[in-house]
Amino acid sequence: MNIDSDTYKWVYAFTEGDGSNKKLLGGKGANLCEMTQIGLNVPPGFVITTEACLHYLESGSKALPEDMMSQVREHMVRVEQATGKGFGNPDNPLLVSVRSGSALSMPGMMDTILNLGLNAQTLQGEIRQTGDARFGYDAYRRFIQLFGKVAMGVPDEVFDQEFDTVKQAVHVKEDVGLSADDLQQVSERFLRVFQEHTGRAFPEDPYEQLEIAIKAVFSSWTGKRAVDYRREFKITPDMANGTAVNVCTMVFGNRGNDSATGVGFTRNPATGEDKLYGEYLVNAQGEDVVAGIRTPKPIHQLAVEMPEMARQLDELRDRLESHYKEIQDFEFTIERGVLHCLQTRNGKMNAVAMVRTSVEMVKSGLISKQQALLRINPMHLEQMLYPRLSPGFTRVHRWPRASRRRRVRPPAVRCLMPIVPSCRAGTWRAR
Amino acid sequence: MFDADRAELQGRDLARPVILVREETKPDDIHGFFAAQGILTSRGGKTSHAAVVARGMGKPCVAGAEGIQVDVQRCEATVGAHVIREGDMITIDGSSGNLYLGLVPMVEPEFSDELNRLLQWADDVAYLRVMANADTPADAARALKFGARGIGLCRTERMFNAVERLPVVVEMIVADNEQQRQSALDRLLPMQRADFRGLFETMAPRPVTIRLLDPPIHEFLPSERQLQGEIEQLRHLRESILGMDVLASSLMLIEGGISAGGEPAVKQIVSADLVEAAITKKEQILRKVRALTEVNPMLGHRGVRLGITYPEIYRMQIRAILEAEAECVAKGLEVHPQMMVPQVCTAEELRWIKKYVDEIRAEVEANTGQTLSCRFGTMIEVVRACMRADSLAQEADFFSFGTNDLTQATFSFSREDAENKFLPMYNQRGILQDNPFDVLDTKGVGKLMELAVQWGRQTKPGLSVGICGEHGGHPSSIAFCHKAGLDYVSCSAPRVPVARLAAAHAALTA
Repeated sequence: MNIDSDTYKWVYAFTEGDGSNKKLLGGKGANLCEMTQIGLNVPPGFVITTEACLHYLESGSKALPEDMMSQVREHMVRVEQATGKGFGNPDNPLLVSVRSGSALSMPGMMDTILNLGLNAQTLQGEIRQTGDARFGYDAYRRFIQLFGKVAMGVPDEVFDQEFDTVKQAVHVKEDVGLSADDLQQVSERFLRVFQEHTGRAFPEDPYEQLEIAIKAVFSSWTGKRAVDYRREFKITPDMANGTAVNVCTMVFGNRGNDSATGVGFTRNPATGEDKLYGEYLVNAQGEDVVAGIRTPKPIHQLAVEMPEMARQLDELRDRLESHYKEIQDFEFTIERGVLHCLQTRNGKMNAVAMVRTSVEMVKSGLISKQQALLRINPMHLEQMLYPRLSPGFTRVHRWPRASRRRRVRPPAVRCLMPIVPSCRAGTWRAR
Repeated sequence: MFDADRAELQGRDLARPVILVREETKPDDIHGFFAAQGILTSRGGKTSHAAVVARGMGKPCVAGAEGIQVDVQRCEATVGAHVIREGDMITIDGSSGNLYLGLVPMVEPEFSDELNRLLQWADDVAYLRVMANADTPADAARALKFGARGIGLCRTERMFNAVERLPVVVEMIVADNEQQRQSALDRLLPMQRADFRGLFETMAPRPVTIRLLDPPIHEFLPSERQLQGEIEQLRHLRESILGMDVLASSLMLIEGGISAGGEPAVKQIVSADLVEAAITKKEQILRKVRALTEVNPMLGHRGVRLGITYPEIYRMQIRAILEAEAECVAKGLEVHPQMMVPQVCTAEELRWIKKYVDEIRAEVEANTGQTLSCRFGTMIEVVRACMRADSLAQEADFFSFGTNDLTQATFSFSREDAENKFLPMYNQRGILQDNPFDVLDTKGVGKLMELAVQWGRQTKPGLSVGICGEHGGHPSSIAFCHKAGLDYVSCSAPRVPVARLAAAHAALTA
């Protein structure tokens, strides 16, 4: 790469990055910049460019561009100023998330590390700050596991085993039943297996943590699942080349019952209905929702539990749609009664919903007919032309092996949500 | 399958239908998603990984079915008292979230008002008109429901294959002289006329394009081996009947010649004459099959070549089309029939067939007193036809590209051999980007098409040009057809909505 790395700009603050430059900043990064600049409440942070990633991957020695880390430090200082916290400061620690993000949305394909900046000292500071030891150890054990897995390749099962051992020892089934002491024990066990598996102690220096994390995200671009995904969806280097790294101040949805985390669609992605859709968990972190470990509540419940937050969320929805002129799939966190918008991207919907939203957005004047047509991939219309299950089949048909087909009666199978209406159903067979 | 790797093996490598069943899914399971028809998980919400990824892929997914215990280690799932193991059939419904044991029958989808409106907008901006390939009035009605603006390809051979007609078709083919053949054709004529009238009525006032007989006629006959077997059996039967005669006379000896006027002791079930006649007929067919045998039927006696060597067949079809039009016009219907000639390589072939059309048209017009509008066009599916497009355009009112045959001819690939033998490897190694039978090869086949359009229109400005191969329903091929200046694409009925939107995209992004 013909870049003079001494003076080249590798890092952009959310307040300065060009929201239309997805190629450089990645989709997520460009979006964070754009969201910040249109006045949504995005936690402060910055983007390390895809160019830095390519530079790293292409340099045979896997070296970061020379000046990159010093630019990262400069931007970290700006985040410290904006938040009034300090990275590695035991009195008032700044914690960040480190996420990947390439030019094209590849959901779940790349890695994320949360709570970066925690170590033995800052953990104590965090606990003093929040007065919540349980919260502190919970964040710590999550960080050790994610960092271990994403940055150092320690398998989940190793941590899960330790976690289950502690749960069994104290006779607790749900994570929420664990006390601060239990979680402290978990984090100590996690640190030990980290060392056993990596042959090194867990890094205490937050900047060392950050550098390792950045390298891990960069490397994930050439990992198996990212490569598989790009091959399957025919994503060429012209379309997306390298991943950016987004470093963002952590906000916590698990700081008590005035905190929550959730995901929303500005319209229903299964039907296209023009109504906020999504789900949330009170007193939880985002990964709890996405991983499906706890079963979340439907979003309309928020109006009962936190009416002011529900009102702000409706406002956020209107703002997102009127700016992006597209259905948005967004993540939010409420930390102690303050709503933060952490991410938004164009919502992936089935064909039925795409068609309905296209027609309704034209009716309401949000988009033109041309835009309405162009936002739908023609091949996706085939989905709508798939056969559906025949209604009233239970009484009529028998299945081939002469034993009667049974419908599994609810509530034996209680299924929560329609996901893809009118789709093919399939079957499986013996090996 | 309870594991993504095995799902991939079963679903992708062995092409078996698979539902991936997991407690929850992770990004590492992605290859299992690609291979599976559907995904079932016992944990997670509508924004869980499984749900998001399945939604993007348009695959049905039931996530968070908490009533199911999934045991990935033992490869089984328990629902109440039922245990589901790998190999059992289940059906999932992504709309309701229900799970069923066994296979559930499916129904065809309905068009929503929104889809109709959106596709109406698409038609408004598109330049390319989307037509359908349809062979029967029922196909045509379905195509109309999907919004087809006409029929771009009706394959008449499909009509020949109907159970009650095949014997007449066989008779026509094996006929020893023109008179016998004509008598069979006289019986086929009213059937074809009714077929065409049904199509014209269903589609009125939209155009209906009928392709004259294309496949080699031995395709309508049984195979040589089958006939040989049958003749063998008939000969055995003949022997048996002779044996029965011998038995009957032997019985007379045994019983001492009594009951001269009584019932014979051994009944004759089949007469030897009937068997003899059957053998003669089958031998006649066998001779015909042998006579018609070709080394390479794809490049053999088919299409317009049949029309010239057996003029009675094409004349019957042309008459059926024109008489069907006359009947529709007499009923006051506005119809736009078009006929096209397959496998044309020279303008002389077209002139030959056009002579039949002119004669029969004059005759039908005289008999019925109606003025007929049926247009006369040519398929462009032979490389030489592309090169001679200027002279073909002198005879043809329209061109229709048959890109399947044109692709075979351009690459010198036989489709079946290519797809079964070397094409997969060509794609894997990147020697060819795509299967040219799925995705139109715009660089090679497309170049020929562009030349043919350009030269055809130099001779006849405003010459109408379309495509009726399977490519007509593929968005990237449609974008190419738009750029190449075609007027219409024709595809299978269920692809029509896709093609309408793709035609709009082509116009908006050109």
